[in-house]
Amino acid sequence: MKSDGKIIPGPAVTVHVDGKPLPARRGQTVAAAMLAAGQRVLRHTRNAGKPRGLFCAMGVCFDCVMTIDGKAGVRACLTKVEDGMQVNSPVQFKRFERKS
Amino acid sequence: MSFTIETDIAVVGAGPAGLSAALAAANAGARVVVLDEYPEPGGQFYKQLPAEFSVPDRAKLDDDYTKGDELLAAVKKAGVTIANETLVWGAFEDGALAVTRRGEAGSVKAGKIIVASGAYERAIAFPGWDLPGVMTPGGAQTLVKNQQQLPGGRIVLAGSGPFLLPVAKTLLGAGANIAAIFEATRPREWMRHALRLWGHWDRIAEGLRYRRVLADAGLSIRFGRVVVRAEGAETVERVVTMACDAAGNTIAGSEQTESCDTLCVGYGFTPQVQLTRLIGCEHRYDALRGGWVPKYGADMQTSVAGVYVAGEVAGIGGAYAALAEGWVAGLSAARELGHKVRDMALRSAQRERMTRRRFGDLVNTVFAVKPGIFDRIADGTLVCRCEEVTAGEIRAAAAAWGAAAGAVKGVTRCGMGYCQGRICGSLLEELTARTAGCTREDVGGLSVRPPLKPVRVGEIADLASD
Repeated sequence: MKSDGKIIPGPAVTVHVDGKPLPARRGQTVAAAMLAAGQRVLRHTRNAGKPRGLFCAMGVCFDCVMTIDGKAGVRACLTKVEDGMQVNSPVQFKRFERKS
Repeated sequence: MSFTIETDIAVVGAGPAGLSAALAAANAGARVVVLDEYPEPGGQFYKQLPAEFSVPDRAKLDDDYTKGDELLAAVKKAGVTIANETLVWGAFEDGALAVTRRGEAGSVKAGKIIVASGAYERAIAFPGWDLPGVMTPGGAQTLVKNQQQLPGGRIVLAGSGPFLLPVAKTLLGAGANIAAIFEATRPREWMRHALRLWGHWDRIAEGLRYRRVLADAGLSIRFGRVVVRAEGAETVERVVTMACDAAGNTIAGSEQTESCDTLCVGYGFTPQVQLTRLIGCEHRYDALRGGWVPKYGADMQTSVAGVYVAGEVAGIGGAYAALAEGWVAGLSAARELGHKVRDMALRSAQRERMTRRRFGDLVNTVFAVKPGIFDRIADGTLVCRCEEVTAGEIRAAAAAWGAAAGAVKGVTRCGMGYCQGRICGSLLEELTARTAGCTREDVGGLSVRPPLKPVRVGEIADLASD
């Protein structure tokens, strides 16, 4: 994105996504920092194992939920990065199948 | 640990309607607290930058950032408290609201409640809409406006409605490469409504400005085309569109493929009525204004005494209707509390509200979702993104169990995931109605229960322990 110095992101920090360091700037959300690094897949669904990324980016759809600093089900689109933050793709249990 | 907020008026939502209501009520002498889920106030329309970002010279920012400045400054000057990162997730019988703020539980006790919870985008299912890289137009705009982050390298905008234009403007302003814009309607389908534009000069001028932005970028909107599927391995790589007629039926042989890494599709907005439904306000189905909406009177008061609505939650009408409506609600609530409000001030706000609503209704009429777009959702297409339920499963449940949203939800699990039906709920209701051949009123809405958004167990327990 073109930068003309009108808006300056916060100081540099490092978050860890599934153990790998990811550079970020304070004020960025986890999802935006991952997107900036080209990481669009945030998790896989628990039943079909399909990849999921940012969808509404405003906290409505919960498609971007990740495990952040040990808390499950946290929205990556609204959660701002912190230095040393641990971000993990969630491990989810499969849905209990109905017996027909 | 928990906290309590006591105030005269609690406003839920810090977008145009909520801020306007807060300002009107505070100016009349009421104590006002605005509760908002986001880190910065402004809602989606007056989206602010994160507090951690710095702006050396605010005067150099374009109006995407500064258009809310005046209102926000006035609200702060009027002594309104804005509680950011404060999610309202429940409502108790005594009128108190349950909230959570950065993991801490709280309750809000207010004499009057003004719900200005806004709207979110209407997403309509198609194969591949769950692929990473497919998102809502508003989501893409938020990434740029709030995060200074382009959603991708080669972007396609699609769906229907004038909102695609400001999204395109924001993206182009940030240097984005927009490959194409597909709009489901065609100008010739709008013509019979043209006379109703009379008088709305500021909005016409805005439309012409957008046209110029697109022309400068060498872009022209491709009318009468709908997205039929998105394809890609792990993320979206291309989108297939087809031409459609006035009813939204696709025309055989008109398929075209466009390569992209980001596809933004939206068909207007749906009112965010979960809180008004939880409070117990009466609702009615209003397709023109985006779905289920609370009933309200000239003072914006709902069927529950002391609970008001303003803006998109009361029916989709745009930011200018929201500003006017917030003003009406704020003045009315303050007056009910015994503050002096001049009749003339209230009446002029009500007139402004009606003018803006007329324009909103015109836009809603012109860009109404074509029925064929729902009918062409194939049985194999995913509808519930959280619980992974297909359109076929919903139709089968509707055929077997009858036209009741709750029954279809119970049988299929559609709407039981993290999104709690916010994204898939109206699709479930629409598909159920079409399968059973009955109205949306017959089908009803998915039930709403607290917490309105996922909340940690500890945050609920904290509220009970104090």
